[in-house]
Amino acid sequence: MTLALALLLLTAQSPAAPPAKVAASIARLFGPGARADTLRVDTVSVLRVSRADSLLGFAAIGNVLGKDQPITFLVAIDPTDRLKDVDILVYREPYGGEVAYEPWRRQFRGKSASDSLRVGEEIRSISGATISVHAVTLGVRRMLAQLTAWHQSGAIR
Amino acid sequence: MRTLLGWGLFVVMGPYPVRILAAQERTTVGGYGEVHYSNPTGPKTPPVVNLARFVVYLAHSFDDRLALRSELEVEDARIEGGQVGGEVALEQAYLDYRLADWITLRTGLVLPPVGIINETHEPPTFNGVDRPGFDHDVIPTTWREIGVGAVGTMPGGGFAYRVYLVNGLRADGLSAGEGIRGGRQEGRQASFANPSLTGRLEWARPGVKIGGSFWYGGTADTNAAVGTGSFGAPVALLSADARYENGPFALRAVVANISVSDAQAINAAYGRSVGSRIAGGYLEGAYNLLRLFAPASSQKLNAFLRHERYDTQASVPAGVTRDRSLARRITTLGVTYKPTWNTAFKGDYQLLRNAAGAGESELLSLGVGYQF
Repeated sequence: MTLALALLLLTAQSPAAPPAKVAASIARLFGPGARADTLRVDTVSVLRVSRADSLLGFAAIGNVLGKDQPITFLVAIDPTDRLKDVDILVYREPYGGEVAYEPWRRQFRGKSASDSLRVGEEIRSISGATISVHAVTLGVRRMLAQLTAWHQSGAIR
Repeated sequence: MRTLLGWGLFVVMGPYPVRILAAQERTTVGGYGEVHYSNPTGPKTPPVVNLARFVVYLAHSFDDRLALRSELEVEDARIEGGQVGGEVALEQAYLDYRLADWITLRTGLVLPPVGIINETHEPPTFNGVDRPGFDHDVIPTTWREIGVGAVGTMPGGGFAYRVYLVNGLRADGLSAGEGIRGGRQEGRQASFANPSLTGRLEWARPGVKIGGSFWYGGTADTNAAVGTGSFGAPVALLSADARYENGPFALRAVVANISVSDAQAINAAYGRSVGSRIAGGYLEGAYNLLRLFAPASSQKLNAFLRHERYDTQASVPAGVTRDRSLARRITTLGVTYKPTWNTAFKGDYQLLRNAAGAGESELLSLGVGYQF
């Protein structure tokens, strides 16, 4: 009972994505010791990830609306504009949390902005999580296109 | 797109460091609805068109953790005093407190997490104009009761759960043909003489979801002739379901078994022929025809076939002669066209059969549905 209560208190952290969560995500995707610098494009911030002198890729954070709450996610690309991974930083709704599962997220790996990303085709859906699946897929597609366009135009390098 | 009130600053791409969501209140409106055309075979059964459901979903976040979620429903377009049909009802209305990623506490009018359709009942999520007969006569969709509980998704593991303590069913509403359906109290001056437990565990992978559900609770209310104690005249329900999607293929299956162990006492008290066991299920397969004709399309044209078998008198207590017309076999063949994932145009043809061969008919249905 005491242990359960302590666990509850430990995990009852703030629902917004703390920078520590972003840092952990970058370390997981690019390996320990990856350095992240913030670039600003228009009003948006993009993370440039590097180790020593070599560019590892870029990442950006976005929000899409689920059924009634925002879903905060991170998209990372490698230097050849292929999607490295998607991370769900904060999921706030009681249903549909399966979009944070690795087996679902890994379907996006290796995709580029020119690839088709349709739910039920390239991206398998999850029954009972339909709204979140469509929202995150759309958000990832847009962000992948945006990062790719910025990288190819030299806005981020 | 959903209307957002008081939430204008949120854009698809946020700046880094993450702009922390201010603990500001916001209201979200959504909804779903469906219109049906049904044409039964047989004399003096003209086709009927009906605005079956119009439902408004209203959610409000009081802060980052506490939210109201509700569905207010109008059935059959309007209600009028003294006329049959029509209903204005709250389908759900509860407060959620998000304690952590894996646990949200919930209280209010909630949906028992039994089977597939009871919780996920928006028209674009299922094939067929009307909900399956099984989800009317065996699992009494839309089933809602008042209580408290917890829901959550286990981090990383693929498991999700929901568990509630809610008010019980009432024995005086149980019936031969619709099983426990009439026993629902639906949040209206409900007797809490018989608390009930209900819950669900499910496992998900992309394209796969497998779930198991239960309900256990007394129904006697204050009638000592039917049963005594909190769990007097219990209804015990067990159900399992599976959904599988792979490219153009989709499969779903549900089975349920409901035991009404004191059916004899219930029948004696209320003059019914309630079965002591209610059981059945269905299997449905679908194929997206656009895969053949327009493989690049993100629209769907699902052809489907569903076969249901259920019997609300699978077993009967002493004193009841089984009515074999309650052992139903329903075969539904149809198409669902989905121009977007959240809109559906449907058509189907149903063969309504039963073990007695009595009153069998066919039914042609057309419908439109949406959710947002």
